[in-house]
Amino acid sequence: MDEKSIRDELRMWILDRAGAEADRLSGDDQPILDEGLLSSLDIVEFILFIESVREEEVDIEAIEPEVFDCIDTLIEAFFADAPSASEPQG
Amino acid sequence: MTSDHRKSAASEDRRELRSLRTGFLLSHDQSPNAVAVEVAGESLSYADLYQRAAAIAVTLEQQDARGANANPDERPALTAVFGQRSTAVVTGILGILFRGDGYVPLNPTFPTDRTRSMLERSGCRAIVVDENAEKQIVEVVTGIETPLLIIFPERTDVSELKAALPNHQVLGTHDLESAKEWTPADVDPNGIAYLLFTSGSTGIPKGVMVAHRNVNAFLDAMAERYAVTPNDRLSQTFELTFDLSVFDLFLAWECGARVCIPTQAQKMLPAKYIQDSGITIWFSVPSTAVMMSKLRMLKPGAYPSLRWSLFCGEALPSEIVERFVEAAPNSTAENLYGPTELTIACTLYRWDTKRSPGECELGLVPIGDPYPGMEVLVVDEDLQPVAEGETGELLMTGLQLTPGYWRDAERTDAAYTVPPGEDRLFYRTGDRVRRCQGKSPMVYLGRLDNQIKIQGYRVELGEVESAMRDIAAAEVAIAVGWPVTAAGADSIVVFISNADADLGEIQKLGKTRLPSYMAPRQVRHVDSFPLNSNGKVDRKALLALLSGY
Repeated sequence: MDEKSIRDELRMWILDRAGAEADRLSGDDQPILDEGLLSSLDIVEFILFIESVREEEVDIEAIEPEVFDCIDTLIEAFFADAPSASEPQG
Repeated sequence: MTSDHRKSAASEDRRELRSLRTGFLLSHDQSPNAVAVEVAGESLSYADLYQRAAAIAVTLEQQDARGANANPDERPALTAVFGQRSTAVVTGILGILFRGDGYVPLNPTFPTDRTRSMLERSGCRAIVVDENAEKQIVEVVTGIETPLLIIFPERTDVSELKAALPNHQVLGTHDLESAKEWTPADVDPNGIAYLLFTSGSTGIPKGVMVAHRNVNAFLDAMAERYAVTPNDRLSQTFELTFDLSVFDLFLAWECGARVCIPTQAQKMLPAKYIQDSGITIWFSVPSTAVMMSKLRMLKPGAYPSLRWSLFCGEALPSEIVERFVEAAPNSTAENLYGPTELTIACTLYRWDTKRSPGECELGLVPIGDPYPGMEVLVVDEDLQPVAEGETGELLMTGLQLTPGYWRDAERTDAAYTVPPGEDRLFYRTGDRVRRCQGKSPMVYLGRLDNQIKIQGYRVELGEVESAMRDIAAAEVAIAVGWPVTAAGADSIVVFISNADADLGEIQKLGKTRLPSYMAPRQVRHVDSFPLNSNGKVDRKALLALLSGY
């Protein structure tokens, strides 16, 4: 899955969980915890969702709380190797 | 008179007039430079916190004297605090207590209408607000005609807020009064220390009044049991609208220790927070431990700094405490039980790796024995005591029995009762327990009504149903906890029978009316509700429907 698709998947999951319209998440740098879109009540399912997209486990001990700031930080922490949309996928 | 003698004399005075703030004041006198609170990378000493809180207290007093509140004599001795996980709310709570008021916690993650309702029903004329709640405060007070005193203790420029709140008096950091010559006024130990709104089955949250004497009885029992020292670091995982937060803040301050408050982001990764902050006393709902287990955070030996692992707020699955104890090998684990009406927690059970597995029932850890000063009755439907080893409703009384619900005599009378053959009031918990027999401890077996716990939060399904009936314009809406867990439920599913209803839209609107833990995760349609032999909606049949999806 390319990075753009992953961003779309993350955005859809967060909005669906928050029961929010798309305009609540206008940019990938928008805070998702501070805006109340995600809370600690959602963390287990959110991590499991990330793992299903990555197709591998997250190393919980290696991540910092700041990775949950916004979609940009999630991409950087969990999907840094994802190809951009323009790159050919093998 | 030496400095020590003065401190000692002051301490004696404070003991005589003991209230919820007294432990903090004594610890401040003893070790003003010790760290009292740590949040978002900022540490405040007892002296820092005292100065900031005293400035709020003096300001509240002075504003009363100046007539900011139209009728000071009619003003209830309550002030609201609106925010979460900030130094501003911590200083706000202490400032309110210093002033002699009880505090009313309000939560910025709750829907605005719910917060406004709580604020109005409390009768508060003043509110302390942190930066997390700034966005909401304008909407919350819109429509409230009584002028309020709104304090932003950590906001230096309040010009925009003043413009947005023209009917109210808005004060920022620079508007706070000097506290140099200030000393705390007396507080009635029978007065309200905090007023906490909980879910109500009729659709309206109930305000539980907790008196200073109630919470001090609780803190006395806890301080002695856990032998908390100034070297301890207590975790603060709970929101202020959850009464378990009182344990963390005030037990730490009672004993001169440090309370560590994780940010929202840090709360997502409790394992890292325990390790980085050197937490020694962990206190959370069992759901947090379940989450840690699911996310592989309970590795053996992971938390050597912990000396106490405490759980409260919902049923504790035995397999979870077993894993937690392995992860925190230097700690002793205890299961605390208690409703808000009995002041935070009122029974406890110490986990013993060898003995306890045999004492668990339904895979749940027993709730154990009552605290000092608390008494238990286990009764049948006629409020007559059941025999040892039999099941019945748990009733309790004692030092931690609270005065009742705020301005709600009807619901107070229903819940606080004098059982036959007794001459004292007992609180009816609505919890079904097995009475202890011999050395067998008391065991929690479930609820007698439609109250459930969602990750430790108390939820009256009737309140959810009331909101959803209104939103869906439905005659009947039935809420169930789903998926069911050993500790309660993970979320709520609502069933309605309106064939033409937009279920997705109804679910979204639910989020605007109810706190996130109460808002239904799904709204489903049924052609007709299954009924049981009494003609009532059969909730078990609805759960079976969900199992089949």
